Amino acid sequence: MAEALLDVAGLSVSYATRRGLVHALQDVSLAIPRGGAMGLVGESGSGKSSMVLALLGLLDKGARLEADRLDFAGEDLRQACARLRGSRIGTVFQDPAAALNPALRIGFQVAEPLVQHRRLPQPIALARAVELLAEMGIPRPAEVAQAYPHQLSGGMKQRAVIATALACEPELLLLDEPTTALDVTVEAQILDLLERLRRDRQVALLLVSHNLGIVDRLCDRLTVLYAGRVVEQGDAATMLRAPRHPYTRGLLAALPRADRGQLQRLAPIPGGLPDLTRPESGCNFAARCPFRAEGCDAPQALRDVAGRAVRCHRAEELGDTPWPRPGHTAAQRAPLGAMLLEAEGLARRFRLGGGFLQMFRSRAEVRAVDGVSLSLRRGEVLGLVGESGCGKTTLGRLLLRLIEADAGTIRFDGQPVSPRPDAAFRRRAQIVFQNPDSSLNPRQTVEQALLRPLVRFGLASGAAADREVDRLLERVRLSPAYRPRYPHQMSGGEKQRIGIARALASRPDFLVCDEAVSALDVSVQAAVLNLLADLRDELGVAFLFISHDIGVVAHIADRIAVMYRGVIVEEGPTQAVLAPPYHPYTQALLSAVPLVGQSGRATTRLRLVGDVSATGPASGCPFAHRCPVKIGAPCERQAPAMREVAVGHRIACHLPIEEMARAPHALMATE
Amino acid sequence: MGAFLLRRFASLAFVLWAMTVLVFAIVHILPGSVAHMILGEYATDAAIAALEERLGLNDPLYVQYWRWFSGILAGDFGTSLTMDRPAGPLIFEALGRSAVLASIAIVLVAAIGIALGIHSATHVGTASDRALTLGQYFFIAVPEFFWCILVILFFAVWLGWLPATGYTPLAEGGLLGWAKHLILPVSTLVLGLIAHVSRLTRSSMLEAIESRYVLAARAKGLPERTVLRRHALPNALLPAITVIAVDIGILIGGIVVVESVFAYPGLGRMLVYAIENQDLPLLMGGMIVVTAVYALANLAADILYAVLNPRIRVGGAV
Repeated sequence: MAEALLDVAGLSVSYATRRGLVHALQDVSLAIPRGGAMGLVGESGSGKSSMVLALLGLLDKGARLEADRLDFAGEDLRQACARLRGSRIGTVFQDPAAALNPALRIGFQVAEPLVQHRRLPQPIALARAVELLAEMGIPRPAEVAQAYPHQLSGGMKQRAVIATALACEPELLLLDEPTTALDVTVEAQILDLLERLRRDRQVALLLVSHNLGIVDRLCDRLTVLYAGRVVEQGDAATMLRAPRHPYTRGLLAALPRADRGQLQRLAPIPGGLPDLTRPESGCNFAARCPFRAEGCDAPQALRDVAGRAVRCHRAEELGDTPWPRPGHTAAQRAPLGAMLLEAEGLARRFRLGGGFLQMFRSRAEVRAVDGVSLSLRRGEVLGLVGESGCGKTTLGRLLLRLIEADAGTIRFDGQPVSPRPDAAFRRRAQIVFQNPDSSLNPRQTVEQALLRPLVRFGLASGAAADREVDRLLERVRLSPAYRPRYPHQMSGGEKQRIGIARALASRPDFLVCDEAVSALDVSVQAAVLNLLADLRDELGVAFLFISHDIGVVAHIADRIAVMYRGVIVEEGPTQAVLAPPYHPYTQALLSAVPLVGQSGRATTRLRLVGDVSATGPASGCPFAHRCPVKIGAPCERQAPAMREVAVGHRIACHLPIEEMARAPHALMATE
Repeated sequence: MGAFLLRRFASLAFVLWAMTVLVFAIVHILPGSVAHMILGEYATDAAIAALEERLGLNDPLYVQYWRWFSGILAGDFGTSLTMDRPAGPLIFEALGRSAVLASIAIVLVAAIGIALGIHSATHVGTASDRALTLGQYFFIAVPEFFWCILVILFFAVWLGWLPATGYTPLAEGGLLGWAKHLILPVSTLVLGLIAHVSRLTRSSMLEAIESRYVLAARAKGLPERTVLRRHALPNALLPAITVIAVDIGILIGGIVVVESVFAYPGLGRMLVYAIENQDLPLLMGGMIVVTAVYALANLAADILYAVLNPRIRVGGAV
């Protein structure tokens, strides 16, 4: 390899904690040539963030760093990091809303590195900042430079952050989950931008991500990190096509994929991260590995296997053996039951702003949900997708009567549900929230959280309730040993399972899952998705499954509803929605999904500009202002009616059906 | 910003008007005759009737209220019953002396409290941070009147450095004489509040230091001083400002205690005097003035908060 720009060898990072020394990174080596792009993949706790902080010299004061080599362009980063960061090494952090200072103007923040490193006078640096914003594809850059972060959308903020990172024309860009907090459509725009920057400026990338799809799209080399150790390293495309380390195999098998359909249960990786205070001398993945065999407890070295480095003594022997999948198949599902939930014309507006004297002024209104009708049968899973701000969460809460509707009716099991429903409806319709950290009471043990609904709905008491708690824990695959635990004593996946168990305690017929798996790592997410599928099949629970992750929805949903600005624009059986004919919005959403092993798809992508919050016309099609295939006046003037394009598949669009059917398949590569 | 100010001033006016109704109601709707209260339990019926007639107590309540309220609007707080002088000048003279006490105290609280908070936050876990934390809890826990007595015993009685009580106007005693009477009251007033403010500044500063935008600022290669001064501090000051405004309420309560103990002739001591002697015009006027001061202080804090926080000052998307 030509001389590497970034050359890391034998990097170890450890933190002193109360539990002992945590070995976050153990003997990690990686090298990136000028203009190269390295993906760094792993689940939470793998040490990805420590890697970024170590390169920047920004580890906590208590952290201990050792390395054989930590070089950037021939200089030792341990001495030079303070001078190099911000000038020759740019960084983009995960959540742009958090990474920008709320009290400073955008232009000032973008100009800061120029003033610091280039010693440019403030006015010249500000002028350069405006140019940078323009180069990042920000419309009206001069105005944006004068704005504060809260005035910008998420995608614009991330562009501003990238502009800051690029201000001093760095040779290396560290990207720490750069699109994780963004919608898939915005993510696609940012990935396009990064791809262009890499091509035009020859800037090298270190992309830290949990998302294999975006790594595949941007990177030529890939490093898989597990619990602080590199387990596999090599050419990205080859590794994602034919993984050699069991952990890489597991990660790929656990990934729900929009282009694969829902043939089988996903393959979760059992167990959790090993204790980083006492690193195993042997393979640290062995405890979770289905291919475990004699010799795994011996120290494993990175060996050259099929053109890449793999830390597994069985890598050759295993060949293409796939990660074992659980035995369930879709064929075992019972046919759908009777109609359970029917909603007609649900609507909810929110007023912006507030305050005493504003009562007398007219205020802007947001129609969060604008006349939505939908129905669900027993045992059916309806996936609800759309960008953030489309009204998905509001719709889910309206269906449960958790918030008041302005209009519309709900029938549940044939009976109308009043705006203030009785305990019987509350018992039968439950919700699982996105973030188990904030939806579980930190002062309640698992036992208390699960007993509460049993007592509240008079379902069980005394010894019977006790048995019921054990049964619920078993349902979510947790042992009774979890009963006395508090939320902070559990991992994210375990907490989310308690959230599900709590929702199941009242034996509901209908569950709203609002981004229920979004905060979880892929391996845990697979286990939770399998659990939900079991509940659907075994108990006949119906789900409204709200998610921004189309892969997850495609995996679990029988039907998909696509929502845009309070309106359902397309609805139908999963396979029908995922294939043409498409509503233009569905097509754009699907083609924005980064998929593993489909780089050829890039040419046929339909790109959206702007975002949901941009104000559109009051009448006409809600999507008209962003629609790339708008046909003109009818779209602006009249809201399109739902038309049936196939049995059960309905689309609200003015385009002729034949034209929608001619759209390229958004999830498959076309030649 | 204009609309914001207009809104805040309107609600301030409303709060003050509501306070006049409340103060009036508390004094007049409570059982018992005001004249009886003034003249004592052995007063003759004739004397009471005469006084009620003179004070207009036989008029309907709304007429009495309007007489008092329109008087205040015109700057007339009525006549002190016990001193037989207009209540207005008495109140404002006392207010001026209290304001000296309070403004010195609040400046010290803000300056020392915020500085100590920043020091603790940037030196977390060090000996000085731990010592400060210990001191903060101690001074928050011990009440003012205890300090009053302690400092009088120590500095005035035992060491004899400073006068225990009283007040010397600047014109009479000169700067030294004037300041001597202020040192003990001010220091007892500020101890607890400094502890409170520095405690809060420490935690909001820590939160800012651990935020991602501070990490991002470090990743830009800015020197640590710039990171703290430019990125962490402005955001950390916002909660501190809110707390200082709330502390003004505590300060007013503290002033009543401190002025009584140190026999400092300010508004707090005047209010206690008015209550003890049932001097209703003085009492009602004093309460309205205290309310107005508190409301204005909070308004000032809100404006400062808005100036420092662009999310309030600048609305709307670009």
